[in-house]
Amino acid sequence: MHCKRCERQIWAYVEGQLPLRQAQALEAHLRACPRCQRQLEAAQATARALHALPRHRAPANLSEQVRRRIAQTPARPTLDWARVWRRVALAPALGLLAAAAWWGWHAQQSAPAPNTVAADSAESFVELHEQLELADWSPSPTPSYFISTGYTR
Amino acid sequence: MDTLSVEARLVERAKAQDETAFEQIMNLYADRLYNYILRMVGNATDAEDLVQETFLRAYQGLPNFDGRASLGTWLYRIATNLCIDHQRRRARRVPTVSYSLQEHENGEPAEWDFPDYQTPNPLDAALNRELERVVEDAISKLSPKLKTVLLLYDVEELSYEEIARVLNIPIGTVKSRLNHARMQIQKHVAAYIEDTPAPTRGQAVK
Repeated sequence: MHCKRCERQIWAYVEGQLPLRQAQALEAHLRACPRCQRQLEAAQATARALHALPRHRAPANLSEQVRRRIAQTPARPTLDWARVWRRVALAPALGLLAAAAWWGWHAQQSAPAPNTVAADSAESFVELHEQLELADWSPSPTPSYFISTGYTR
Repeated sequence: MDTLSVEARLVERAKAQDETAFEQIMNLYADRLYNYILRMVGNATDAEDLVQETFLRAYQGLPNFDGRASLGTWLYRIATNLCIDHQRRRARRVPTVSYSLQEHENGEPAEWDFPDYQTPNPLDAALNRELERVVEDAISKLSPKLKTVLLLYDVEELSYEEIARVLNIPIGTVKSRLNHARMQIQKHVAAYIEDTPAPTRGQAVK
């Protein structure tokens, strides 16, 4: 057995979880290897010390302190799923309603005659720029744009 | 009635706003959680605050506790998360801190209840006391990941499966972290043994 394997198995041996044959092989190695013998001694001492560490007891007034903190903490409202659902569903519903209203209004305002589609779309482009206050720094309209739309500033 | 069904009944009663049931839960777990948290965070003031916080969170979370995990597993999980958060906050404030748990807060003597190992190796009380200090010091130097597993297994005596549920990690990871943690403690103990006169120690394998 190599020291590496011995090192891997040493804790299983200390806890008595190593199968008999492996335990016997390990013991044979330990008798011949002072370094691993020292490791075993350290592992056994560690195991004993870990299991024997003193148990610290909670302060006597702990539950009283917890009760005080519970009393001071505002009760967390329990989730009313119907209410949550109403809130969650309301936002998209209102959004859809607003979008439908806007499209309806827009369609009514700018119902295009077939021959004015290009002009109208160019108009709405300029309008949009003006609304967004972008017209001043956006590229100047081209001459063909003026001809087709009759746009003047 | 076994422990689990007793605890399940306590949880049901606590959920039904029975204050005495929650009191009983606190009595059952206060010492265990305090002992665990104290070694996780390294000082009594923080440990007291965190164990209170653990119970407060448990109280608030009771309506959502579905009993899939045991009460103990659930409480250790809350405590572990709080300790890790606490250590992260502290790490941001202070670069490196090393705590030692030599003092017994309640002034009671340490309990020396040795398990019966196949090769007993009796040390005298003074050496045990010194070894305890070495081990406590080594534990305090472990990373939170390793410390959590070591304390839950070797000190709190949870099973691999319970620890895997507390930390939500595979059992293989629990075993490998435990091995890592033990090897680190063992290094400190080996160094201590090297410096201790041999006649005071017994032979490991006879």
